Order: sequence, then structure tokens, then C-alpha cells
Amino acid sequence: MLTFTLRRLLLAIPTLLFISLIIFLLVDLAPGSPMSEIPLTVPPEVRKKMIEALGADQPVFVRYILWLRQFFWVEPANLIDGWFGTNLVGGEQRILSWQSRSPVFTVIGQRIPQTLTVIGTAYLVGIAIAMPIGIYSAYRQYSVFDQIGTLIAMIGFSVPTFFSGTLFIIVFAVWLPWLPTKYDTTLAVTDWSSFLQQLRQMAMPVMVLALANAAAISRYMRSSMLENMGQDYVRTARAKGMTERVVVLKHVLRNSLIPVVTVIALGIPSIFGGAIITENLFGVNGIGAALIGAIHANDLPMVQTLAFIFAVLIVVFNLIADILYGLLDPRIRYE
Amino acid sequence: MREAVSDLVQVDGLKMYFPVYSGVLRRHSGDIKAVDDVSFTIRAGETLGLVGESGCGKSTLGRALLRLYEPTAGRVVIDGEDVALLRTEALRKKRPTMQMVFQDPQASLNPRMSLSSIIGEPLVEHTALSTAQRQERIYELMDQVGLNRRFANRFPHEFSGGQRQRIGIARALALNPKFIVCDEPIAALDVSIQAQVVNLLEDLQDKLGLTYLFISHDLSMVRHIADRVAVMYLGRIVELSPRDDLYARPLHPYAEALLSAVNEPDPVRARTRQRILLKGDLPSPANPPKGCNFCTRCPKVFARCLSEKPSLFQVEGGRQVACHLYDPAKPSAGSTGGFPHPKHLQQGVSE
Amino acid sequence: MNLKSALLGAVCAFAMAPAAFAERGTDGEVKLTFPQAVSIMNPYLSSGTKDIFAASMVIEPLAGFDDTGALVAKLVSEIPSVANGGISEDLTSITWKLLPGLLWADGSPVTAADVIFTGQYCMDPAGGCAQLSKFDGIKSIEAVDDMSVKITFNGPKPNPFTAFVGSTSPILQKAQFEACLGAAAPTCTDQNSMPIGTGPFKVTGFTVNDTVSMEANANYRDPAKPAFAAAVIKGGGDAEGSARAVMSTGEFDYAWNTQIPPDSQAAMAAEGKGVFVVAFGTLIERLEMNMTNPSADLPEGERSTTKHPHPFLSDINVRKALSMAIDRHTLTEVGYGAGGTPSCNIVPAPALYASDNTGCLTQDIEGAKALLETAGWVDTDGDGIREKDGKKLSILYQSTVNPIRQDFQALIKDWWTEIGVETELKAIDPSVFFGGDAGSPDTFQKFYADVEMYANNFDGTDPEAYLTQYKCDKAPSPENQWQGENMNRFCDPAYDAMVAELSGTRDEAKRAELTKKLNDMVTKDSFVVVPLVHRGTLSAHSNALGGVKINAWDSELWNVADWFRVK
Ligand SMILES: Nc1ncnc2c1ncn2[C@@H]1O[C@H](COP(=O)(O)OP(=O)(O)OP(=O)(O)O)[C@@H](O)[C@H]1O
Ligand SMILES: [Mg+2]
Repeated sequence: MLTFTLRRLLLAIPTLLFISLIIFLLVDLAPGSPMSEIPLTVPPEVRKKMIEALGADQPVFVRYILWLRQFFWVEPANLIDGWFGTNLVGGEQRILSWQSRSPVFTVIGQRIPQTLTVIGTAYLVGIAIAMPIGIYSAYRQYSVFDQIGTLIAMIGFSVPTFFSGTLFIIVFAVWLPWLPTKYDTTLAVTDWSSFLQQLRQMAMPVMVLALANAAAISRYMRSSMLENMGQDYVRTARAKGMTERVVVLKHVLRNSLIPVVTVIALGIPSIFGGAIITENLFGVNGIGAALIGAIHANDLPMVQTLAFIFAVLIVVFNLIADILYGLLDPRIRYE
Repeated sequence: MREAVSDLVQVDGLKMYFPVYSGVLRRHSGDIKAVDDVSFTIRAGETLGLVGESGCGKSTLGRALLRLYEPTAGRVVIDGEDVALLRTEALRKKRPTMQMVFQDPQASLNPRMSLSSIIGEPLVEHTALSTAQRQERIYELMDQVGLNRRFANRFPHEFSGGQRQRIGIARALALNPKFIVCDEPIAALDVSIQAQVVNLLEDLQDKLGLTYLFISHDLSMVRHIADRVAVMYLGRIVELSPRDDLYARPLHPYAEALLSAVNEPDPVRARTRQRILLKGDLPSPANPPKGCNFCTRCPKVFARCLSEKPSLFQVEGGRQVACHLYDPAKPSAGSTGGFPHPKHLQQGVSE
Repeated sequence: MNLKSALLGAVCAFAMAPAAFAERGTDGEVKLTFPQAVSIMNPYLSSGTKDIFAASMVIEPLAGFDDTGALVAKLVSEIPSVANGGISEDLTSITWKLLPGLLWADGSPVTAADVIFTGQYCMDPAGGCAQLSKFDGIKSIEAVDDMSVKITFNGPKPNPFTAFVGSTSPILQKAQFEACLGAAAPTCTDQNSMPIGTGPFKVTGFTVNDTVSMEANANYRDPAKPAFAAAVIKGGGDAEGSARAVMSTGEFDYAWNTQIPPDSQAAMAAEGKGVFVVAFGTLIERLEMNMTNPSADLPEGERSTTKHPHPFLSDINVRKALSMAIDRHTLTEVGYGAGGTPSCNIVPAPALYASDNTGCLTQDIEGAKALLETAGWVDTDGDGIREKDGKKLSILYQSTVNPIRQDFQALIKDWWTEIGVETELKAIDPSVFFGGDAGSPDTFQKFYADVEMYANNFDGTDPEAYLTQYKCDKAPSPENQWQGENMNRFCDPAYDAMVAELSGTRDEAKRAELTKKLNDMVTKDSFVVVPLVHRGTLSAHSNALGGVKINAWDSELWNVADWFRVK
């Protein structure tokens, strides 16, 4: 297992380097320029100077090499400096956002907590909703419950979050003035009431995303359960005189979880990716909102770095999913 | 009639229909009559063989007997209780008495459970054994079926097919059952191991006084192990006879055809025997023929067969057959006292 | 700290300003929301309005503009003028006198050195200062004494109120920004996000592109202000969400830039929790007519250049007819509601400079038809499209991707079709259209189309630089890498001469007259630019917030120190 992991990680390095180049070129070739953000009242000479100050006038490969150096050397060095008080960076420039002129990693660091709490909670809530629905739908296939579950899952799949989000706002913030529509990032949870406040402001974005997540996961759960439900070993368990609970929750569920767990693991990078639309709608300053803001402002260093981090996460979580599969299913062994 | 007391299993009019739904609204449009009105009994300590071609409903019958399916109709009295009527909890309590060895040893074992938890699980559920006692019992069962104790913590995929079937048997034995349905326990195994497993089952029967329903389409293996044999065709039992009688002189045309395919150990008889080849395909159990189920392929078919389903009735001592040829109420087919010689009959038909 | 400053403020207010009816920090927190989040608090490194407005609560210029566009002193004792000797007779220098006793939020005194440093900071060639044009023509900035600064220009400067005037050009604290000159400017993350200022608030927390948290500045020069003890600007989402947060849910007190469809405006206003306010600056949504031929048949490098005049738009009658066919009232209603008003000028404000040009406001389809008819543009082949000398009135009309602009395009296309002008529409991604990439055919400078639509305005109250944009030599062309602001390639020596005259004129009334003439020359006299709608910035504030005075000439938050809680 260890050699398998190491081999996969080593293989990932050239892949990721290649991906980084592709992302860089794609981001760079995409139409638009940071110029378009500068108002027309700024004269062309000044615009030109501003672009030069950003380094955006350099040829693409020069910027790519610089970015590589910043990403793989300056940023880690900066991190080490921060931990041990060393001075490895020695005044070299970190990756700076063109839009805010602050280091991209500082921005990411500021945003990860919100994304993890909101999107992460939504993912967990989604899983928590999806599991029982998936299990019960499969257990009572074609029952009324299953039909309703199917319908809800279909709605969850097909209704875009900007629609469900706006609907939630109108119902829970405008008609029933219960929940805030704008996420307050400065809220520090120190006591019971601020904790409640945090729950209230998380409620809507979490529910919107949880619904979407639950739809997908409950379907996976259901089909995986159904597949196992008809297996002989389930009949064996019944023949042993095990209670239905044990049969379903121990025998069927545990085997059905194997593919579902991997699907869930593969979905984790998307938590880090944040939810572009939902975050934006509810003012959650997560990674998704950062990405869309950066795209709008043609903030290339930000877009590039975020896109690359997602690529790394996807590669890593693919590996984790594979390893999990091996751990969960005794039939699979990696050498 | 046999005395009812010694009958461990009594099956009466058992039906197992699988509903077929079709269309967008999933309307009930018909049934697969996998088991259709089957009645028989098994005496305590007896082995009843159940033979028939693939898809005739043997496994379904076995599973319906043990309430692994919800039977559509009928009575299944096992050890004095009608299993078909038991409520969930009572049924669960009843389960230890009746067990099953499954056709596919690989699929019937939970891939994520170790051998000892597979065998031990029912012990936890149905007995009050301590952990140590339970472990002891698991080892004992493993010994009984000839599995090395070292294997206790291995997973099913780490065993050979024969070993897996032994696990299946050990598992079935764990709760000291009285009645075991063996659903083609040897079909997935190669010949050398088949004999081992069958011998194991026989040994266990002798030691533990078990009653078997032994499902197989290997007729020679059935001949070896069964006391009586039931022949099934398209969801119905067509003949139920003591083993030797059946193998010597099958009554039902289908039984005759089936047995004609068996290797005859007696060279003298083998020479005289002719293989009867059945024409046509097995009809669909969803849409069986109107009359006798076998009428579409029967070499001896006659008018009545096409319109009326024969039911199983007693002919000579201890033999039951479902065929109009032997119907006592029909003089042309012979009298109650004597039976027409099959050969004669055969000629009669061929002319 | 908060309590202390509140008490201090209270004491000061009592001691020094017995007439003041407000006390500092007594009204709790004021909450603002911007649909675009604040990226940076330093206007010299950003040209984003959101950033400039947010920064205006913290750092201040020497003088600003009030809601009528008039200059108001902020950090100085009076507005310099020739009369008070602040501006030299020859208009080549201006001297600002700082208020005595003025303190930075950190308690240190504001001196001439800070002002000089700020000039240095922006004028550093490596800094990429976004407000560099404000410092155009400055020869030197020097301290007369500790509290006065003299700015000397290269030549006479009729309008010296650019550098250090208005929220785009605030004073930075030298002590804080000393290490941030030139190339180091963008790397000073802490300084750029938490500048120390003289404004009513000081930054206590800053999360990039999300939230700015502020508290009342204990050293603010008016001891009774601000009434609020704290302020927060939450960014992100969209105009709809921001408007809702003020007008429907009441979570926020003030929302900037809530331009939403007119029907939503009406519905939200009807809820009665807040009001929309509009700042009408100088932003004009307009059509620009291409005076050169954009035909793809021309060799690359000659398309849309002055080498080839436009086949039919060079005929003033066609341009005029196109303008006459448009119903600007309908456009305004459909697109902007309260946030817009029909206009025929490119200089719509300040009132002093705005020409009373209303001729375009009534649609005249029949008149347009007749005009084309008499000019010889007739439909001879019966296909509904007019032509003359084998040239068809067939127009490629481009704009950016934007729902309102697409509505405008569709409406205008209908009207033009009615007068016999065939119209093909094109919508370009704004980041490409405004991106200025010389390699892209779709930029507004290249203008590879017959007509294009966008909005433009000028900074501050003085339109001189803006009108300069229509000079002959400002036309984008391959020779200048398509940089230039005269999109139409309009060229009239009389116009150029008048612009030169304007630059040399000091007299206000005369300047106004020239401005109006220049405005008319490109609009109603030539129809080179066809103005459509004077666009305002729609903002919203709740009924519980008092003191808001919307301002189009400076930061909308220019008087945030005067805001208070309505009880
Ligand atoms: N769950 C089910 N739903 C619908 N039809 C079924 C189901 N299980 C079995 N059948 C059908 O019932 C009939 C009998 O199947 P069964 O498994 O009992 O055959 P079998 O005699 O055991 O065959 P084999 O020797 O191949 O094991 C077949 O036609 C089969 O398709
Ligand atoms: Mg079977």
C-alpha cells in the first residue's frame, strides 16, 4: 500500500506540472485583460504604467516560470519562515493578486475557513440527509417514499442553486424575517448567542448546497444498496435469522458504502473549490467567491493559483479514494 | 399414508409467484409462476432429492420453504409450525431450526466479513454464549467441516471454492438446525471436491440426525445421497418416488427423459437404454401451457394433456406422479391394479 | 478603547461644541453593503469605485466636492483661490494650508511632509499609480512651512484642483507608507489594506474582497463626529441582493450601486423600509458612430482608419436620422428606471457646463425617413433597406454583453429597421471589449463595426480632459497600437482649436460657454456621438439612516461623518 501510494504520488508530479502549464496557458489565452477593469477615465498612458507595474506585460513563458518559482519555492519558503522565523524568502515577491495586491495565499488562507465551515457543513449535512433516504428508498424500492425521494432528488439535481437560493431568501429572509441574507465574516463565535447567530447565517447556504449534494449522494446510495440487496449473502444473513436492522445496516449497508465512500471522497475537492454561485449569493467569502471575483477582474495570478490548487486536490483525492477503496474492501489489495 | 408424526417437513399447495410489472406506471401485468402448487413431505432424518432442469424453480422452492421468499400461497409446516404464517419475530426465532446451503458459495458469503464472524454472527444473535465459548464453537464447526482453525480470520475471497462451500455448511450448522436445504451445494465445485462435500454432508447427517432437501441437477449425485427423489418441471413436481424405484423405472415421461441422460452404471441396462431427447424449449414460467406443463414437449402427449393440468397423486406404494397416463379415473390409461408397461405405451404413442 | 473614545468624544463635544446635537460614537454601528467587494483601501493602486469609496471613509484629500460639485475644504483651512492668494496670479502654483492641530488616527500630527510624500508616491514611475493623471503637469511639490504645501505646475493650470482633491487622491501618512515607494507599492499589503488616515473612521479589520470593519476615529477633527461608533462594509453578491438587504430585509443601512430592473426598484421601494437615491454624475450611455470604414474587405491595418471614410456614416443626414429614430424615454424606462434620464449631451453635468440641448428627446420616425429620402437614401429594390450609389444602409452595431445593453440593441434595431436601415447586432464580452488588447479585433478602440454603444464619463467636475478625447490626434490607429480615446475618428480642426482655447481660458463663464460649444459640436451639430441616457448611480439607504447626501462628484460616502441613526 505504501509503495503504491508513493508510486502514485511520484507519477502525479509530472502530471501536475503539465496541468499547471495547460492551466496557465488557458487562463492567459482566455479573452479579457486586467485593463478592462480600469475605468475609461484613466488615460491610456496611466493604464499602460499600471499594467507594467503588475508585470502583466511580460511574455507568457516568463510569467509562467516566475509563477512556478513563486508557487514551488517562494510560497513554501514563506511558510517555513513563518513557522521557524528563518529568512529563506529574502525579500522575493510572493504571488500577488492583481486585484487586491495582497498575496494570493493570504487571501486563500482568509477564505478557507468560511468555505470549509459552510461548504463542508453543507457536504456533511447533505451526506447525513442522503444516507437514510438512499438506504430507505432502496429498502422499499418503488414505495411511495422511494417515489417521493426520487422526485426530490430529481429536483435537487435539476434546480440550479441560484434559483433555490433566491427562493430560500425570499421565503426565509423576506417573507419570514428569520435568517440573514448576508454572511457576516467578522462574526466571532464566543458564546451561545453568537453561536446561534453563526448557525442562523449558515442555515440558508448550507441548506441550498446540502440539497444539491444530497440529491446526488442519495442516488448513489440507493443504487448501490439495490445492487447489494439482491445478493446471495444478504439472503444468507436473513437465513441466519438476523434482524432486518442487522441485515440492512450491517450486511447490505457496509458493502454498499464502498462505492459511495469513494464518490464522497472524490467530491471533497469540490468543497475546497467552494460553491461559486451559492457563496456569491449569500456573501460567504469563500474560495468560490474568490475565484469568480478573480475571473471577473481578470486577476490571472489568483485564477491560476486557485485552479492549480484544485488540480492538486483532485489528484490527491483520487488517490485517497483509491486507498480508501482498498481499505474498505478486503478483496482489493494494492501492491 | 405415512404417519404424520415422523414428517419433519410438510408442504401443501405451495405457490411462489413473482409479479411482473410493466409500463411506465409499473402495472401488475402477470406473474412468473416459479413454484406452482407444490405439495410433499420429508420425514425426519430423510434426504429428499429435488431434480429438474435449470430454471424449473428448484432454488425458488428451497427459498420459499425457508421463507426467504414470501410464498404466494400454501402451507409449509416445519417441525410442527407453519413457517409461511409466522410473524417476523417468531420466524427469526424459528430460523435456527431450518438452514440453507447456497448454490453459489462465493456470492453467499459477505465479502467484508471474516470467516469467524460469518460463522459466529448467528451465534451472537440466537445464543447466549460467551465470547470464549463462541470462539470454541466456531472452531468446533470448522473442525467438523474440515477447515483449518488458522483460517478463522481470513476473508471469503481468500478461500478456494470447496473451502467456501465448507464455510457455508459450517455456517448453516452453527445453530444446530434440524432441516437443511442444500441448494446445489456441489454445482460450483470440481468433481473431486464434489464427492468430498457430499460425503461431508452425509457424515454430518449421520452424526447430527439432519434432514435434507438436496437440490441438484446432478442425477447421479442425487442417487447417491437421496432417499426419495422429487422431479420438478416448470414449477411443479411431476414425480416423487423412492430413489431406487425412480432410477429403475421412472413413471413420468419427463422423469424418464431426464433419467435417460444419466450414465447407467449397470452395463446390461445401459445397453438396452435409449436416450430420449426432448424437443423444444422450456416454456416460460410466466406463461405456462394451459394443460399439463409438459404437454408441449411430451412424447406421449394426448388430447387431455392439452386441456387439463394433472395433479400429483399416489400410484403404487410410495410413488406419486402427476400425469394423466396414470390417472386411476381414466380407464383407458390402465386400471388401479396394474400399470401399463411403459414400453407398450411408448409403442402405442409412436404408432 | 471604544468606550474610552466615546467618552473622550463626549467630553470634547461638551467642552468645545456645546451647540452640537450629536456625540461621537453614540449611534452604534452603521452597516454598508457593496455588490462588489472591496479589494484594497488604497485608491492609488486601484481604480475601482468600490475601493475608492471605502477608502474615503478612512483617508481624505485636502479638499473634496460636495453634492453640487462645489469644492469643500477637508484638511485645509480654506480653498485656495487667486483672490485669497492661494493660487498665483499666473495660475502656475497653488498653495494649500493645512488645518492646525490636525492629527492622524494614530495620534501623530499631519504635516506638509505627508502631502509631499503622497505626491512622490503616486508620481513614482515604477509604482503603477492609478491616479497618475491627477498629477499631470506638476513640476514640484514643496513645503512652504510645516503646515503649507506649494504645488508648482509646468505652465498655467486653469484647474489646479486635481492632485489631492477628491476621494481619488487622498493624503497618505508618510510614516506608514515610507517603505512602499515605487515597485514596493503593491507588496505593502498591510499598509494598502489598513491605511492610517484622518477620516471619521479607522480600519480595524480587513478581509480582501469581503469585509472592511471600522471604528470611529478618536482623533477625528470634529469631536462630535462621527455619530456611529463603528462601521462595516460587506461586499459581494449582486445589485439585487444588496438592494434587498437594505430595502426588504433591513439587514443593512446603506447599499451602493443597486442598479436593478425598474420593476424591482418599484416593488422594493413600495415596501417602505428605505429609499433609493440617485447620484447623477457625468456617465452617458451613448452610441458612437464610426467615421471610418470598418469593412473587412480592406487590408488589415487600414480597416477603421482615417485612410477610408465610412461609406454612409460619413453622411451627416444618415447619422442624424439614426438619432431621430430613437426613443430615449422608452430606453430609460426599460433599462434604468429612476437610475437614468434621457440625454442629448456628452457633458450632462455639472449644471454650469451642461448644454440645454434637448432636440433629440422626442422620437421622430417620420422625420428620419423624410431626411433620408431627401438625402437620396431610398429603397430602390424594395427589400426594405435604403441605398444610394450601390451602398446599402446596413449597420453592424456592437456593444458589450449586458442585459440592459442587449435590450437597448433590440429596441434600437427595431426603430432603425422601421426607417429602412438594416441592423446586425453583436455583443462582446466586456473584458474583451474594454480589454484594450491590440491583438483582438473586438476592442472598442479597434471599432471594427459601424456603431458601438458603451458608457463613458469624466472624472470630477471639469470636462476639459474629456473633451480633449475627441481631438483628431486621439484616434486609435495601428500607429499608436490602437490606443486612443477618439473612437469615432472624428476630426474637425475647428474642434481642436476650440479645445486649445479652452485650455488657455481661466474665466469660468467663458470656459462653460466653450464646453457647451464643444459638446454640441460632437452631438447635435454633427451626430458623431449620439447620447442616449444620462446614467446615475442608484444607491439605497434605510429609513433608519439619516444624513445621507448623495454625491456624484466625489465619494458617495463623502459626508459619512454626518450620518446618524434615526431614532
Ligand atoms: N426474484 C425473482 N423474480 C422474478 N423471477 C424469478 C426470481 N427468482 C427466480 N425467478 C424465476 O423463477 C424461475 C425459477 O428460478 P430458480 O432460480 O428457482 O431456478 P432453478 O431451478 O434453481 O435453476 P438453476 O438450476 O439454474 O439454479 C426462473 O424462470 C427465474 O427466472
Ligand atoms: Mg437454482
